[in-house]
Amino acid sequence: MKLVPIGVVVAVLVALPFLISGYHQGLATYVAIYFIAILGLNILTGYTGQISIGHGAFMAIGGYTTVLLSADQHWNLLATLPASLGISFVCGLIVGVPALRLSGVYLALATFALAVSVPQFPLKFSKFLGGSNGIHAAQTKSHLWLYVVGWSCSALAFAAAWLLLRGRIGRAFRAVRDSELAAVSSGVSLPIYKTLAFGVSAAFAGVAGSLLVLVTNGYAQPGEFGVLLSLEILIGAAVAGLGSLWGVIVGAVFIGLLPSVAPDVPLIGSAHGQDVVFGLIVVLIMLLLPNGFAGFLRRFEPRVKTTIKSDPKTS
Amino acid sequence: MGMNRRVLAVLAGAAIVAGIAVTAAFGAHRATPGVSASTITIGGTFPLTGPASLYKTIPAAESAYFAYVNDHGGVNGRKIDFKVLDDGYDPSKTVPLTQQLVEQDKVFAIFGSLGTAPNLSIWSYLNTHKVPQVLVATGDSYWGFSHKAYPWTIGYQPDYPGEAKIYGQYLDANMPTAKIGVLYQNDAYGKNYYAGLRVGLGAKKSNIVSAQSYDASSTSVVQQVLALKASGANVFVVFALPTQTIGALVTATKVGWTPNATIINNVSANPVFLKIAAANGGNVDGVLSTNYLNLVTTTDKNTAGAKLATAIISKYASALDLNDSNVVYGLGAAWTMTYALKKAGKNPTRAGLMKALKSLNVADPFSYPGMKLQTSATDNFPSEQLVFIKWGGGAAGQWAPFGKIYNHVR
Repeated sequence: MKLVPIGVVVAVLVALPFLISGYHQGLATYVAIYFIAILGLNILTGYTGQISIGHGAFMAIGGYTTVLLSADQHWNLLATLPASLGISFVCGLIVGVPALRLSGVYLALATFALAVSVPQFPLKFSKFLGGSNGIHAAQTKSHLWLYVVGWSCSALAFAAAWLLLRGRIGRAFRAVRDSELAAVSSGVSLPIYKTLAFGVSAAFAGVAGSLLVLVTNGYAQPGEFGVLLSLEILIGAAVAGLGSLWGVIVGAVFIGLLPSVAPDVPLIGSAHGQDVVFGLIVVLIMLLLPNGFAGFLRRFEPRVKTTIKSDPKTS
Repeated sequence: MGMNRRVLAVLAGAAIVAGIAVTAAFGAHRATPGVSASTITIGGTFPLTGPASLYKTIPAAESAYFAYVNDHGGVNGRKIDFKVLDDGYDPSKTVPLTQQLVEQDKVFAIFGSLGTAPNLSIWSYLNTHKVPQVLVATGDSYWGFSHKAYPWTIGYQPDYPGEAKIYGQYLDANMPTAKIGVLYQNDAYGKNYYAGLRVGLGAKKSNIVSAQSYDASSTSVVQQVLALKASGANVFVVFALPTQTIGALVTATKVGWTPNATIINNVSANPVFLKIAAANGGNVDGVLSTNYLNLVTTTDKNTAGAKLATAIISKYASALDLNDSNVVYGLGAAWTMTYALKKAGKNPTRAGLMKALKSLNVADPFSYPGMKLQTSATDNFPSEQLVFIKWGGGAAGQWAPFGKIYNHVR
């Protein structure tokens, strides 16, 4: 962790609302939301090696928590955020338990099932969860409020992730990712750390879901949390580069701004052009930057040079 | 830890400074956005892509009508600039796109945005900012009934429960001993229809022998149709989306169920869908529904409205098919918007537009002949008349209207 880049990012984020219009503050809030979600996925996938194509489901849980507490219990919107953090954390732990038996593509499919099935719950329990017409929170907030809260949450999430990953827990996560066998033989409990990673990751997604609902004028509806959302977060994480906290901001900008910027670009703005360009960029990044933006940054880091001299006798 | 605390302190400071700026940023007030000396800018969100993209012919037809208006002098000397954005029917996309229209493009009004959930997501936002949200493309009854709390919003088409009530009244009067089997979508859309049917049937609601629901996400309704057939029902009422309606008609024929009457709801009664059902082996002759649009290509083709529709579409959007009732719908909505903009006067204001839309009393050329758009300060349902139609002629067939025009459908 270096102080200078953090200072620069914070300074830019503090200055930004004074320089841009309310509308652009709204867009910047979307970036904050994706930042938190991608950060959460990165803890699970990048640091612990567990893939998830179902993070939209946890966002739905967080989002509905916020809107229900506001609409039915008249909670302050800010107070709903810790609640959705807690509920999503518990849901993540619960999902983490069956996920212990799965790995690789099977885990991906199981979490994908989650992404597909969770948005159906509001339809099934439409009396409580509003069905396809959704639910409105009791209040709506201004662009600036959303910007400040969104980026404050992002900063807290970033700090939390950093604190978590630099210590004992982070080392255990990385050990699980690199070799489960080696981790177990070093005394790392697989069930505990795998479910913990799911819980933490889901908690991040839950807060992101709450914020997504707030930025959508306090309106929660199953269509907001479709399969596409889960895939967007996964793509964002891939663009960011797994196992790095710094790339996340680039992934979040990519996912958060492209859909809003693209309609203004001539060729891209056409009906399907946007999807084509989006896909193309993802393919290019996978080809040229297989480790995402984080891997790109790492290329410029000074590294220890090792030179292997060929042995003249064997040549 | 020390560094972390420093970061948090900086952020907290930032939050306070930013908080002070709140009032400054939102205090500014401008006079009538979207109206310049030469243009009036309006915009809306539509599903141009994704599962609901079959509705994309609506904004295409609307754009065609505005192009026609602009070529004929525009509205009080100003040309209409209509911005169409693609939200893919996803309310979380509708919000930023609508904010873009209002705050970046500075539109005069949001016109015709499509879908119940997308419109609900921007309902409070637009009303708080006093931006007109007009002639929304959804048949839910919120828009008309909530006009006191949401004075900047108004719908357009006849609402769903009212339509279903008419089916109930029809069955009560014409088939008092029918055994009715209902297929409905298991959400607010389908349930509102079903509730309306029961209201219309009144005491005869006990004639409903079976009601089967399906989830909006499932495309097969085979199980439900089999259950309805087994219940002994001899009238089949379908309150579904187009895909499931087509499936229901085809399945009923394939399993050998021949009810005495089949009723489908208006939004699924697009001739294009009936032809698909017939081409897939469904027996669609005799199917009943209701209509409020000019039947441009068939029984109404000699009306002035049909001729105008044909002229506009062939010149400005020749790729569109006038058999697609969504195209006629788009022309009608755009006609009504143009009419209201004209009524709002030489220097239109947002309040003036709402006033014009809440005092309609006019027969528009793209409605069914004999129908009128009528609104008042207390009646915010522009189109609330329906006429029964019956399909004949199979895959090459058409709707034939019959009977009286039902008024004040809601």
